[in-house]
Amino acid sequence: MIAEIAVAMAALLLSEAKDTTETLGPAKVFGESVKRELMHLSLGSVEVGHNFIENNFSGTLMQSLSAIPGVQARTIGSGQSKPAIRGLGFNRIAVVVDGIKHEGQQWGDDHGLEIDQFAIDRVEVIKGPGALMYGSDAIGGVLGIYTNYLPVEPFEGRVNIFGRTNNLSAGLSARLQGRNDHFYWRLHLTGTDYADYKVPIDEIEYYSYRIPLKDGTLRNTAGREADAALTLGYVGDSFRNDFKVSETWSKSGFFANAHGLEVRLSGINYDASRRDIDLPWQSVNHLAVHNHSHYHASGFTLDADVAWQWNHRQERSEPVSHGYMPTPPDDLERVFSKYTLTGKLGSKVELSAGNQLQAGLDAEFQHNRRGGWGFIIPDFETVSGGVFVIDRHKFLEALSVNAGIRYDHVYTSVHSYSDWFTTPDDTGTPVYKQRSGDIRRHFDSFSWSAGITWSPGKWVVKANIGNSFRVPIAKELGADGVNYHIFRYEKGSPDLSPEESYEVDMGINWVGERLTLRLDPYFNWFPNYIYLSPGSTYYEGLQMYTYTQAQVLRTGFEAQAVWKILSFLELEAGAEYLFARQMSGAKKGYTLPFCPPWKADIALKYTFLEDGYVSLGTRIAGVQREIVPPEKPTEGWFILNLSAGKSFTLKNTVLKTGLQVENLLNRRYFDHTSYYRLIGVPEPGINASLMLGLEF
Amino acid sequence: MKTHSVIIFLALSALLASCSTEKKDMTAPEIVSAGEETSPLNCAEYHPGDIIQFVWAFSDDVELGSFNVEIHSNHDHHTHSTEAEDCPEHHHDEGEEEGELWIFNEDYPIPSGQTYYKTNIPIAVPANAAHGEYHFMIRVTDAAGWQQLRSLAINIGE
Repeated sequence: MIAEIAVAMAALLLSEAKDTTETLGPAKVFGESVKRELMHLSLGSVEVGHNFIENNFSGTLMQSLSAIPGVQARTIGSGQSKPAIRGLGFNRIAVVVDGIKHEGQQWGDDHGLEIDQFAIDRVEVIKGPGALMYGSDAIGGVLGIYTNYLPVEPFEGRVNIFGRTNNLSAGLSARLQGRNDHFYWRLHLTGTDYADYKVPIDEIEYYSYRIPLKDGTLRNTAGREADAALTLGYVGDSFRNDFKVSETWSKSGFFANAHGLEVRLSGINYDASRRDIDLPWQSVNHLAVHNHSHYHASGFTLDADVAWQWNHRQERSEPVSHGYMPTPPDDLERVFSKYTLTGKLGSKVELSAGNQLQAGLDAEFQHNRRGGWGFIIPDFETVSGGVFVIDRHKFLEALSVNAGIRYDHVYTSVHSYSDWFTTPDDTGTPVYKQRSGDIRRHFDSFSWSAGITWSPGKWVVKANIGNSFRVPIAKELGADGVNYHIFRYEKGSPDLSPEESYEVDMGINWVGERLTLRLDPYFNWFPNYIYLSPGSTYYEGLQMYTYTQAQVLRTGFEAQAVWKILSFLELEAGAEYLFARQMSGAKKGYTLPFCPPWKADIALKYTFLEDGYVSLGTRIAGVQREIVPPEKPTEGWFILNLSAGKSFTLKNTVLKTGLQVENLLNRRYFDHTSYYRLIGVPEPGINASLMLGLEF
Repeated sequence: MKTHSVIIFLALSALLASCSTEKKDMTAPEIVSAGEETSPLNCAEYHPGDIIQFVWAFSDDVELGSFNVEIHSNHDHHTHSTEAEDCPEHHHDEGEEEGELWIFNEDYPIPSGQTYYKTNIPIAVPANAAHGEYHFMIRVTDAAGWQQLRSLAINIGE
């Protein structure tokens, strides 16, 4: 499967030059093109273009993408959400931007992807292990994001304005680009501002506190975001190069009543304004510089990438004493500063007719430093390198096989950290307590994969088997402190081994004239899943959570059907189901945290005047009783969503309009995979979004 | 290949269905009254220098874990969702900020294998404790990692 991904990725890179049209999302053109797309990967993958993202414009990129079966958004308030694929998220999926693994502080619960969703041309979701191409982290899937559209005109562009009713957000996004013979440029600018968001509830209960909400607003969840990116490129006959600099910045408040240990003592009047951002808040910066070169000759391609990324996140909150910690001198609770240097080299060679060999090597260096008076993750450096080979052989037009292997070495050096204040030890002597020791670990990993794609008649059948790995991150090895966001004490384990995953994937597709059917079942086994297990002991009143490893079994499927009933009427249906079980360790018999319940989407779409559409859909989720401490069972729910859009041609410009209304009936429901579910915050009430875009 | 994979998949699914019936602790422990001796009761009155005898009971269907007692001031009159409502006899005078706000936070083990455990712990109110309303928080875990909280209001009077 991974081999197929690799080949597909390479094919995508190769086809960039002619990639001037965007794909249309689930409502795809029927027939051969669908089959071809299905054939290029033997692992379940879904590709969507920016039209899909605009039509499903939904606050955050991940909320937009959660319309894809098997993809979940773990929301944290209105401005933030984390991606999850088949229930796995954080460091278990790789987010890859233009071929480079996007580095954020992935482990953090409370910030979203540091990506401008309006700069995206195409997204490819790979549902299954992708370590062969991307090394550690791709164990649960890959979210491939492409922003490398090649302009065709000397000057062209698009300006979007958008607004949302629930959190009173307003935004402006512009894309300007041009091409002059061999040279081109591209500029993205986006700015958004949003207020506290509303939920259909009057009060919530959190950690035994009763928190009344004024007018149903979650106080201090307002935020703003500003993004900019500039690309300069050269396109020759056999050589291409592009150089990109991008910056995303955001500042957002934390829900004031669910952060910190002594929030209740705050004198801040959070209800004074819905738009202001009071303490506690965070700011997140992501700066990236990326150079990509591509060379191709007959039967041969070579790609080279160099990238540098810098993440800088700050959490600020009112200084309060806690336990033996005296009142800190300022509000700088935590600073995370990480930079990542990545180099990649990849080549594809046609060995014979129908046989293609791909090989690649990559190297990465990460450097992380912390600051502030709160400790959760130690300083660390990581050096990693990997090499892979993939062979793909096409026996017939309708039958191809692939196989690949990869080797990785990772070195992690975690630095010790001691408190800045003293705590009495057993004898009562005040000591600067050590929270993290010096940890030096080397990890070796070997991964492999094999797959087959077969397309007799209207069928496309795919099967894959492979393994993937993930190296423990510094937090899992060396965390030792209070997680103020969730009132618990988290403790790392320095001896963790690399997490492994074995997965069998299948894809069964039937592509007819008016109807396509798709079923993607999978079966997955982790011999040593790294799991943060809630224990039965306390540390100063905070329940102790420890990182342990356990055998985990996961299985499930996604199903999809698209039926073109009439030329102007289309029915789309999608469903997903996942079963996860810990098979050993302290939580033997339990599921994994945030295990999504079964979910189904059904939408009826009416098309008029070529590109106009109105779509009414329902999303249904089942009850989730498969839980693990400290989760609560979540009742099933359904909501209605409406979307409509139409383009108008005005001389040389196109005006695009799009309206989306989510939760039309303003129903109160809890999403089991939402981070705020744990603190009893329901999903947002009715929310209308309007987007106007001018293309020229 | 195709049929084989389907068979393997179905076999594994059947295996799953069979092991999913395994018993596991799905309920949180409870904080229950220890009868007539139960103390402190909600809205109880104490004085600086007093001993609060902490007598409550915990129960769990499988096995208890450990517990914690935390006492913090409620001078800002925040509320908890268990029974810590404002106690009518407590009047919130402006002058009650004198003295030192009392903070108490202790973790206690429960012997292993217990499904019922009664506490009996003396907690001394410091002689210089500021007067006013305090919250008396009780937390208990079970061996599986479920947690239960209970919040009581107590008053430290003149």
